[in-house]
Parts: sequence; C-alpha cells; structure tokens
Amino acid sequence: MTAIVEVKNLTKSFGKVKAVQDVTFELEEGGIHGLLGRNGAGKTTVMQLLTGQDFATAGSVRIFGESPVENPDVLSRICFIKESQAYPDGFKGKHVLKSAPWFFRNWDQEFADRLVADFNVPLDRYMKKLSRGQRSAIGVIVGLASRADLTFFDEPYAGLDAVARHRFYDHLLADNAEHPRTVVMSTHLIDEAANLLQRVLVIDEGTIVIDADADELRASATTLAGKAADVEDFVEGREVLDRSRLGGLATATVAGLSDTDRRAAASAGLELGPVSLQELIVRRTGGTESPQENVA
Amino acid sequence: MTSTLTAPAPSVAPAAPHRIWNVVRMHVANPFPTLVMPWLVTLAIFGLNLAIELMVVRAAGGVDNLDENAFQYNGGISWIAIFMLITAVQAMNLTFRFALGFSVTRRDFYLGSSLYFAMLSVLYATGITVMAAVERATDGWGMHAAFFAPWGLVNQPLAAVWAVFVLGLLLFFFLGVAAATLWVRWKAYGLYAFFLTLAVIVVGFGWLVTATDNWSAVWDYLSGHSAVQLAAGTLPFTLICAVAGFLFLRRATPRA
Repeated sequence: MTAIVEVKNLTKSFGKVKAVQDVTFELEEGGIHGLLGRNGAGKTTVMQLLTGQDFATAGSVRIFGESPVENPDVLSRICFIKESQAYPDGFKGKHVLKSAPWFFRNWDQEFADRLVADFNVPLDRYMKKLSRGQRSAIGVIVGLASRADLTFFDEPYAGLDAVARHRFYDHLLADNAEHPRTVVMSTHLIDEAANLLQRVLVIDEGTIVIDADADELRASATTLAGKAADVEDFVEGREVLDRSRLGGLATATVAGLSDTDRRAAASAGLELGPVSLQELIVRRTGGTESPQENVA
Repeated sequence: MTSTLTAPAPSVAPAAPHRIWNVVRMHVANPFPTLVMPWLVTLAIFGLNLAIELMVVRAAGGVDNLDENAFQYNGGISWIAIFMLITAVQAMNLTFRFALGFSVTRRDFYLGSSLYFAMLSVLYATGITVMAAVERATDGWGMHAAFFAPWGLVNQPLAAVWAVFVLGLLLFFFLGVAAATLWVRWKAYGLYAFFLTLAVIVVGFGWLVTATDNWSAVWDYLSGHSAVQLAAGTLPFTLICAVAGFLFLRRATPRA
C-alpha cells in the first residue's frame, strides 16, 4: 500500500484564526476514509487544501506524490464534491452532467444515467431552483460517476432524506468494490456512515485528535454494564470516558481494555458492549479537556 | 478485498490546448445565455427603435421632412457591451467556482474563458457588421437610420465597423474580468480599491488637463482620429485588465 495523500505540518490561517494547525497525516490508496469533526473544526479547509482550492499558510500537501496546487496532472485525477458547490447561473442539472465527462477522465455515463434514475433528480430545472437535497443528489451523482482515483465528499448529502442517503452508501460501497478507488468523506452522521469507513481521522479545533483504523478505534473503548457496585469496583483506577447510573445499575465506558481485563470484567458479572464511533468521537471532541491521545 | 485498482487513469492530464478547449465548452454547456439571448434582446431593441422611428416619420409626414441624420445617433446597440461586461463578471465569479469544483486549474480556467470572450467578441462584431451592411444596403431601413453602425461609424467602411466592435467588446469583457476577479479575490475591499483608483485616475486626468489648459488639445485629439484609431487606443488598457485579471485570479479561492 502506498500513501497517495501525504500531509506534513499543514497550517492554514485566516488572519488571526488558525483554521488548521500543524496537521500531519497520510492516507493510503484504496478504501473509504472518514474526516470527522464538529462544525468549524477545519474539515472543509483541509479538503480545500488537499484539492488545491486553497493555499496553505505553512507545511506541505502531496497528492500522488505531487503538490495539487494548479497541477492539472493531479487535479484531473481528483473529484471534490462539496455542499457549498457553486453553479453557473444558467446551469440546469443536465448541463452539470453534460460538462462532467470533459473534466473527469473515468466518467461512466451509463452509471450516471442509472444514478439519475435512482435518485430521481430533475435535470431540466435550474440548479439555483433545486432544493438542497436535489442539489446534493447531483453532487453525489457526479462524485460517484466520475470514478476519480481520489474522491472527496464534503458533507455530500446535506438535505438528502434517509432513503437517498442509504442509496448513496449502497452505491458507494458497491461501486468501490468493483472499481476500487480512494474516497475521503466528511460527515456529521457518524454512526450512519461508520460501517463504510475503514479509517477515521478526527479533527478538532484545527488539529488531528484521532487518526486510527475504524475497527481499532471501536475496540479502543468498551461499555460495561452491571450492578453499580461491581461497575464502580472494576473501573476504579481506569480511564473512564463516560458513566451513568440508574438505580442500582450503572454503565461506564472505559478506554483500552486488554483481553485479560475483558475476562476479568466478564467474571465480575459485567456485560461488555461495543462503543459506537459517534459516542467515542463526541467524548473525545466534546469536552474542553478532551484527551488528545493517539490511538493508532 | 482482492480486486486490484481498475485501469488507473493515465497519470498525466490531457494536453493544455485540450483542457483549455474544455473550459470553452463549459461556457457553452448551456448556449442560451451567451449565444441566443443577446441576439433576441438586440432584435427586440432594434424592433422598438424601428417602431419609434416609423412613428416619427409618420408624424412628420414622410422621411423627406426630417433631417438626413435624424436617426443616426442611436445608442441602442451599446447595450451589448454592458451585457458582455456582465457575462464576464458572472463567469469569473460563479463559473470560476464551478470550474474549480470540477478540478480545473485557475490557469486553464482563465485561458479558456479569455479565449471564449475573444470568440464572442468576434462573433458579435461579425453579426453586427452583417446587420450594418444590410442597414446600408436598405438606405437605413428606408429612413436613413443607423442602429447597428451609428454615430461616428456612419461613414466608416464595414471593416472599420467590425474592428471597432471587436475592440470595444474586448475592452468591456476584460473590464468585467478585472472588476470581478478583484471581487473574487478580495471581496468588497477589492472593489472599493478598484473604483477609488478609477476615480482618482479620472479626476487626476481632469485636473492635469485643466491645469495645463489642454482641453482643446484633448478634443482635437478625439475628433482628429478615426473611430478605429480610438478603439485601437483602448487595446493597451484591455491588455492591462487581462493581465491583472489573471494575476488576481491565480491566487483566488472559491470560498462560498
């Protein structure tokens, strides 16, 4: 596996505000990577820097081994779908789809037609007249049918209903299996997308706070449930991410349990369960004293 | 996953002329706003002018009762220059952001758009010149009228009419480009600076001419040169706007 995205000490300031601070990470070829974080955490800025749409204040970005800025060799292999995408005044959906194959070299028209039917988007209406969801659907269609080597989806489905979102997930997984490529996706709906993601990058206040394999990340914390006293005994001295109590029963989420720990917990009469990615990320980015340890 | 990556796209982009031509195609993905609508509006303005002129002729009791040049100072056709300015402004703003979203480099976008503007200038100048030829062949639609080649163009050869329109439309395109790229790059502050600079230049020029008592020389210059010479005089300014537009856009970001 080779890294197709290499980011070193990347910083982007807007005046006094540092939107991205000294970020370093790599993404390997293939698979779906999640770029997660709260509003204003810096997700969009990172994607704009990776696609040459914005200019770094410091640090370097290498895509396919080269800088993406004003680099047609790199950019023509990238597709960046974002919620805030602007369209020319006179453009209808059909004009967007008509232009796409001129710029995306792997464009699959047959696949695009199928997606149009599947998402049921009106192509003969001006982009500015479409609802948010319909505009998102056109973005999603371009992102999927372009089959770019590296595709960025920034909040790709704002305004899409649950049915359409699941169609998107299904198409993304199925098409990615048939035509493997690298996808980087940012989203608020972490649990919904969790099963798609192979790697998770969490950005908070402009810095990467988690950079981990999705499975490893899920295994990095465990929820314990049982009698309050048993739970209290077990978590004594451990890192507790969250706890709640209801009558004589309690649950606690603890970090980093070894196999021995798990057996001990089980024999102490506690029930062990997985933690959702969303819970984990909320815990790590929610509080002011978010623990900044790296799981990877 | 056992499957290997599908036939990877060649790691080199299509050649620059090909990429630039694709930007031109993007501008005409919907041909209506720039290739159809301007002709319809021009014909509508022309038709209304004809109607008014016919009304005047009727009221006067015949063409012969009017001055020979009564209908030769019509400004209707100049709307096309304003339209091209607006076209350039929209292209540099919305189409720029769209193009970057479609993985186009700023350089390719700028060169392709400039090429398209030059093509539009030639296309519209040619169309207007053809209409001017018809206008002359029909003795100004039978009323000595001049809509397509009015004012100083009335007595100019058709080649000169064509050149004046090409140069004039290019000027307005790149004025629009310069102003719009300032906006895209620096938003409102860019435009404040643009119009302040423009005002300082105009007022400064006025002061200079007045202080040196040279207004008569300015009028002599303007009346002593043909329309083509004056239009050609705008070319350096057009080029400055074009270069400035490129420099402004090269570091612009498509932030919403």
